[in-house]
Amino acid sequence: MYHVFKYKNYNYIYDVGSGSLHSCDQKTADYLAHGEGQNVDISYLSQTDIDAIAEDVRALEEQGLLNAPETTARPVKSGYVKALCIHICHDCNLRCRYCFADEGAYHAPREFMSEQTAKKAIDFLIANSGDRRVLEADFFGGEPLMCLDVIKNVVAYAREQGAKHGKKFLFTTTTNALLLDDDAIDFFNREMENVVLSIDGRREVHDAIRKTVNGRGSFDIVLQKIKKFVQSRGDKSYYVRGTFTAKNLDFSNDVIFLAEQGFDSISMEPVVTDIDDLAIKPEHLPAIKREYEALCEKYLEKWKKGEGFNFFHFNIDLEGGPCLSKRVSACGAGNEYFSVVPNGDIYPCHQFAGDPAFRMGNVYEGALNSRIREKFASSCLFTRSDCDKCFAKFICSGGCSANNYHFCGDIQKPYPITCEMMKKRIECGMHVLAVKKGMA
Amino acid sequence: MIRTIAKPAEKKVTGCGECRSTCQSACKTSCTVGNQSCERITRETNPEKEVK
Repeated sequence: MYHVFKYKNYNYIYDVGSGSLHSCDQKTADYLAHGEGQNVDISYLSQTDIDAIAEDVRALEEQGLLNAPETTARPVKSGYVKALCIHICHDCNLRCRYCFADEGAYHAPREFMSEQTAKKAIDFLIANSGDRRVLEADFFGGEPLMCLDVIKNVVAYAREQGAKHGKKFLFTTTTNALLLDDDAIDFFNREMENVVLSIDGRREVHDAIRKTVNGRGSFDIVLQKIKKFVQSRGDKSYYVRGTFTAKNLDFSNDVIFLAEQGFDSISMEPVVTDIDDLAIKPEHLPAIKREYEALCEKYLEKWKKGEGFNFFHFNIDLEGGPCLSKRVSACGAGNEYFSVVPNGDIYPCHQFAGDPAFRMGNVYEGALNSRIREKFASSCLFTRSDCDKCFAKFICSGGCSANNYHFCGDIQKPYPITCEMMKKRIECGMHVLAVKKGMA
Repeated sequence: MIRTIAKPAEKKVTGCGECRSTCQSACKTSCTVGNQSCERITRETNPEKEVK
């Protein structure tokens, strides 16, 4: 199976089985698009044209780069836990309208994780990690910086326990940056492998949603703090991470705004909400697709001027990306990755937190609900039948289980709006790859 | 005419499970496996990234 697509005046062929990307002339694109089932007129092609195209196709097929058989790789099923999202608190100092976590509270009383519970989560991770040496823990909320002292103690504890058990911890914190002071910056730069900082872009976009508990926009405070942090970060990883909603479908301007603040590692995600005036709806898709193309153009323009930055969704590494076993396994939530909420309850991931149907256990109990775990462990690309004919399947792995569940009622059922955005981002990412390799 | 832009590098190891959790990436709402790197290749090609 292959996918032919056009980006501006460039024609591309992505071979799904081999993961190869090719460029081609218009006649070849039309001929192959017709073969793919697209409604393309090829009556103008002469027999000589068709013979030449067939010869090119045959050569690529012989190299295994076109119409390659699809993988028989099976999902990674180690049975070990390798990562935890630790909800260090279910409270937040912002009241963002679109927050999937109910402005930090997760539809329950506001709550902080005790140091004892957080340490128990670390114990749980180590005890269930088998022979895996590198473990990951993400401090999440609510707003984790409301509990910085607990985080510091937990990190120290994990380092100590890791040394005893031959484990190396990689930590991440996701923060809104409101409390990001010198002490936190120093700690993050010493201990955090990655820091994800939330800012939505332009002042008016950010402040329309991301308000403090007093109803004031947080833009001026967080921009200044994030800038200071990024300047101190050196070559360690971070992402500034924005959310776009139906209110800012011109989000390429927000990404470029962030790049122009000196941030060189940026992601911008579609909102996950059912709030009517913010939610992404089918009628928004044409504008969103145009906007991804606009972003792609602006991104490449900056790259050509030597002002390039890393945009998460344009990172399509077809040569050195994940192996096929990983690609068919999806994200690992509910099997090798879990969320732990303040009372120690365990859920498949942060987006299932608080849903009784997905409570898998508690760090004080140790055992995981095997029925739920098996449901997630056995879920992979091959169990998502809607993905069978999709060109993007080995890149998106069938989408986000939580997203699928919340919008379609089934972790196996991809949400079509997400799929459409995903496919467009992938096409843009492939064009970026071609340009960077000097082939477009 | 067809020109190849990219094809997967031959990998010695597949399914080793050492890759980082997808959800630790930049987004947390649209975690995408294909936007990740292979942890093993990253380490092998950049020894400074080796996790001691």
